Amino acid sequence: MSDELHRRAEFAAIAAFVVAMLGGVLAAYGYWSNHTEVWLGIGLALALGGIGVGLVSWAKYLDLDDHVVQQRERLTTTPDERDRFDEEVVHTERTLGRRPLLALLLGGSLASLVVGFIGPIGSLGPKPRGERSRTSWAAGKRLVTSDGLPIAADSTGFDQLATVFPEGAIGVDDSQVVLLRLRPEVLTERTVAGGAVDGWVAYSKICTHAGCSVGLFGVDSRPPEVIRELVCPCHQSVFDPVDAAKPVGGPAPRSLPQLPISLDGEGYLVALSDFDRPVGPAAWDEA
Amino acid sequence: MSRRGLVERYVDSVTSRTGTGSWLTRTLRKVFPTHFSFLWGELALYSFVVLLLTGTYLTFFFQGSQQELTYTGSYEPLQGQRVSAAFNSVMRISFETKGGLLIRQMHHWAALIFVGAIALHLARIYFTGAFRRPRDINWYVGLVLLLLALAAGFTGYSLPDDLLSGTGLRITNAIVLALPFVGERLAYLVFGGEWPGTDIIGRLYPVHILLIPGLIVALLSLHLALVWHQKHTQFRGPGRTEDNVVGERVWPAFAMKSIGLFFLVAGVIAAMGALFDINSIWLYGPYDAAQATSYAQPDWYIGFLEGSVRLFPPWELRIGGYMINNLVFSAVIVPGVIFGGLFAVPWLDRRLTGDLGDHHLLDRPRDTANRTAIGVASIVAVAVLFLGGAQDVIADTLDIGVGRITTVLQILILVAPPIAFVITRRSCLALQHRPPPDRTERRVPVERSAAGGYEEPEDGADWMDSGGAAPGHFDDITAPEHVRGGRR
Repeated sequence: MSDELHRRAEFAAIAAFVVAMLGGVLAAYGYWSNHTEVWLGIGLALALGGIGVGLVSWAKYLDLDDHVVQQRERLTTTPDERDRFDEEVVHTERTLGRRPLLALLLGGSLASLVVGFIGPIGSLGPKPRGERSRTSWAAGKRLVTSDGLPIAADSTGFDQLATVFPEGAIGVDDSQVVLLRLRPEVLTERTVAGGAVDGWVAYSKICTHAGCSVGLFGVDSRPPEVIRELVCPCHQSVFDPVDAAKPVGGPAPRSLPQLPISLDGEGYLVALSDFDRPVGPAAWDEA
Repeated sequence: MSRRGLVERYVDSVTSRTGTGSWLTRTLRKVFPTHFSFLWGELALYSFVVLLLTGTYLTFFFQGSQQELTYTGSYEPLQGQRVSAAFNSVMRISFETKGGLLIRQMHHWAALIFVGAIALHLARIYFTGAFRRPRDINWYVGLVLLLLALAAGFTGYSLPDDLLSGTGLRITNAIVLALPFVGERLAYLVFGGEWPGTDIIGRLYPVHILLIPGLIVALLSLHLALVWHQKHTQFRGPGRTEDNVVGERVWPAFAMKSIGLFFLVAGVIAAMGALFDINSIWLYGPYDAAQATSYAQPDWYIGFLEGSVRLFPPWELRIGGYMINNLVFSAVIVPGVIFGGLFAVPWLDRRLTGDLGDHHLLDRPRDTANRTAIGVASIVAVAVLFLGGAQDVIADTLDIGVGRITTVLQILILVAPPIAFVITRRSCLALQHRPPPDRTERRVPVERSAAGGYEEPEDGADWMDSGGAAPGHFDDITAPEHVRGGRR
């Protein structure tokens, strides 16, 4: 290796170690400064990086360059070694194998130990008792916003979206509902039959694909036709709010369950019943 | 013999009590081959060390609890909001603990680098055929380590209980629910009941800081012990055979460079932690069941799974009252095929090549055209899935509908891998006809004449042709004991 390279490597190592020392000081100063995270981080980066550069230029370009040949050791087993192990197996069979009943009982007792420990694992979670097919919705429950305000039939314009919960169960995950007001004339018969009132439609907000909250509502009013879409932001499933929240794009395989709604005596929106099927993604036995 | 120094006497006091005297010297003189691509594994190791150190610091502040409280910290936009104790403690680390944000960001960056280094290391092992017997056993250990790294990343990502990670857990809950036979029961056991429950953060915490790191340390030790014992592979080259290792000794050359690499890795991670914001949870806010954000991309290494879940068509199977959910295909079978394929690599390679022997010399990727082409095709397939995970961002950037991007990617995942296979295979075959790099230079002994000039001797054979050691330090050093034993 040339002297020139040696000189440069040595200079690099000297500079790097000096920078490292300054970096440590900078980190200490940075901690007390008003921009702790940045100066502490840069100081530590210089200290650590300086040591790294110094070590590598020292080891790689100065006196340590090293080329050695070493023989590999044999990894495979020789026939002799194999035979000796086989003798051990035979010996084991002769000694331990003399008491097959004990061996069997030892195996059985170990198995029973495993069985005995199953119980505590069960304590990790309750047994499912159909909670997933019920929500907090029930006939006559008012739809309220997350601030607890009920919703009057004429409270907003068309093509608006709101997230609502049953009165008294605000924030309960499985009861979140996306409420839309659409022009009554665009709704299909299926949507109306599912429980729409005055253009108000309510669907479970939990995506039937993987359970995210369907939160985006888009209206594309470019001719020839106006398209309204409910979109799940996680995996881009698209539902048609006009047609019973049928999936029209993305990976969601099932429509969002519709919450049948009506108006109570005071003109506020209320649920007619709970959903007619489990909300959200389906489990194995919920076909 | 001259008086022995302090180091010699103290080391001797330990080795002579433990019977490790000859072992120690043998270890210091062990030879490691060098090549830049051998660094990826070291990079993974050292980013893991950074993870352990920064992670330990974070545990002194983090609270693994979903207990609800009102945020009263110094970040104004969230003041007065109901947040979990976990979220609150991460906010405290980020805003009230001096240096806390730096350590937290270093931890996150180190995690991203850790998995990335493992992926590069895996690719290097695959494309050079280092997974073949006798190292197939270590290939499996490495794959389990990769799975553990992914699990460590996912559990850590979920701990702050912010909107983005909470949504990720919600999806995880849906995937567990979808599992045939055990789904609902298992989801209740893992999450302590119906989603969201109040247990999951508190459960992920010990898994993230004890179980998974413990397993990683154990398997990493095994991984390195096997590398040590089986000795490292090496590329073909002058003087290199199946029976030897040509390289540098552990002490001091290899150790100094390797320790230097650790400091470099730590330095780069510190700089990233200082300069680049990552996972700014205060921008997402605490988890709220009724919300999800757009552009919700997970950490990069979950991207392939995210893409699979987004791109898979809306299919599900109903069989007599039971359902094979869409997520079973996209979030269980697809990753199952990917990792199943990785685990099958040594076996498949033996089947396809009929080669059952031991190998210590590495292949150049071009020389094994089929293996290389299969590897590139697989990477392309995973890359398409990865793009699928950000299909909404792509759609927005290009101003094209998400649905159209999805369709294009669905077609690409079927078409691109075979095309990549053909292109790679033909490129390999074409490259095979080029002279290898060790033939581009001739190394011949030269003689210095009395007049001061240099000339090749008449019979100067090319050293490469002889297949023997190169001139210079190679030829007189053939056995390590010869080297240092004779220096005295």
